[in-house]
Amino acid sequence: MRAIQAILVRNLIKLFRDKTRFFFTLFMSGLLLFTFSFVMKSAVAGLDHPMNYLISGIVIMMVFQSALNNSMNILEDISSGFMKEILVAPIARWQIAIGQIMSSTVIAVLQGILVLVLGFFLGLRLDPFHFLLMTGLMVLVGLTFSSLGLFLAALAKESTTFQVLITVVTMPLTFLSGAYIPTTVLPSVLRPVVYLNPLTYATSMFRYAALHMESMSTAQLVKTGVAFDIHGFVIRPEHGAIITLAIGATFFALCVRQFRKADFSRVTVFKRGGHR
Amino acid sequence: MPSNSIEVEHFTKKYGEFAAVDDISFSVEEGSIFAFLGPNGAGKSTTINTLCTIQDKTGGTLRINGNDVTTRMALVRKDIGIVFQECTLDQKLTVRENLKLHCDFYEVPRPEVADRIRFVLALVDIEEWKDAPVNALSGGLKRRAEIARGLVHFPKVLFLDEPTTGLDPQTRASVWEYIQAIQKQKGITIFLTTHYLEEAEICDSVAIIDHGKIVAHDTPYELKKRYTRTTTRIKTSDPSPILRFCTEHSLEWTREDGGLSITTKEIGPVMDLVSLFKSSILDLEIDKGTLDDVFLSLTGKEIRN
Repeated sequence: MRAIQAILVRNLIKLFRDKTRFFFTLFMSGLLLFTFSFVMKSAVAGLDHPMNYLISGIVIMMVFQSALNNSMNILEDISSGFMKEILVAPIARWQIAIGQIMSSTVIAVLQGILVLVLGFFLGLRLDPFHFLLMTGLMVLVGLTFSSLGLFLAALAKESTTFQVLITVVTMPLTFLSGAYIPTTVLPSVLRPVVYLNPLTYATSMFRYAALHMESMSTAQLVKTGVAFDIHGFVIRPEHGAIITLAIGATFFALCVRQFRKADFSRVTVFKRGGHR
Repeated sequence: MPSNSIEVEHFTKKYGEFAAVDDISFSVEEGSIFAFLGPNGAGKSTTINTLCTIQDKTGGTLRINGNDVTTRMALVRKDIGIVFQECTLDQKLTVRENLKLHCDFYEVPRPEVADRIRFVLALVDIEEWKDAPVNALSGGLKRRAEIARGLVHFPKVLFLDEPTTGLDPQTRASVWEYIQAIQKQKGITIFLTTHYLEEAEICDSVAIIDHGKIVAHDTPYELKKRYTRTTTRIKTSDPSPILRFCTEHSLEWTREDGGLSITTKEIGPVMDLVSLFKSSILDLEIDKGTLDDVFLSLTGKEIRN
């Protein structure tokens, strides 16, 4: 427990200490929010809560990307050598994984909440219950994608390759999730990708909460792109939460396994002397 | 009778067909300073990494304080402190934050943390830098901070992988002072690798590894006695009787700028020679072999390459 807490505290200290990075994270969140809400305004004009629709999509993307990126910080620890200090310490591998995933989630969720709060100035309307519900969902999404990010980072052998890989993976996932562009307008060829994309379900349940859609019928939900009818097999937003959770649990397990066997001593990027 | 802190039996590590470490066995007595010498790629880091539980072995048994490093990993990790070849401090955190983090990882009882940090900072003399971020420190200060961190959980065995590489001679000397002070004060076992043979001189025992095999393991004194020769340079007013003595006792000699240079395995014949020809000897210089010579004669290379 103490080690997990220590890892969490350390990562938060580092976040706040790196002023430039911290500022840019905030700045980017704001920028994304403003640009997208202005650009997309006309696209969602017919909806009941246009701002809720847009901002929920932006927030969940932010949480997703932040979680993934935060997990990548472990590569910095590997290349700076600090990972060795953690690996030789008497801490179980699952504790290291939990510590990293928790830090990454906390930072992602803080960022998400911040954007939600900014959203209130742009016309977002939420009651406290839905605000809390959305926070809960952000935690869920944060945990899932932090685990995924950490797993990928543990597989990576080199940090530049990894960054390219992340971009290659996240770009299509983001655009095929319904977060920015409603899935209902996408060509049907892309449908299978939409259904296989874990982000689709994260977005749909988040939007479901943001738009207070509890009273809508399944057919209506399918029509708005929050529920999915895959040849008669219907996935409702609640199922989305379960799917996200399952994906998270799977990657967490993979992560711990990868941590157990990975020989991080060989990933070191900046070495002072020869090693054997 | 003192027991062994480190016991290595038939340790082998292979990468594919290539054996980085090939069936080595050695032990290190509790409370002693042990130096592991070898050219780059000889298997030093592999051995350290395996002893530190972060690398797998192919075969053999390695124990620290009686605990097997593969099966009782957690116990081993608690008992050891490591200063790696490269800096493994968190560069963005301060020295104190790094030490605090380390205490959390090693479960140092919370009430003791502040005192321990103060103690180790004083030991390596970096109190005034405690609140500086690590990336603002010089190489020597970082090294000291790292040694402090390796000690703050009071390990029973301290591993130092090239603790003074890349430091200037003055800093190197002071780092050594700290290492020796720690060893005296806390009576811990120190396992180190080094490129600097003069550093190995002050160790209790030295093992030389080459191509994954230990080629010699003894005290520095015994190693020098066994693997080096003594060179005696004599300036004399009358060389011929000395040369005759050399031939009679079949001692190797050469002429060297105005004097004689005699190479012997033992010091005895030289003493005889000196007492016999005392009156004609103008100057005398005796060069005992160094660990450099031991290293050269065993591995055929200079250690710094």
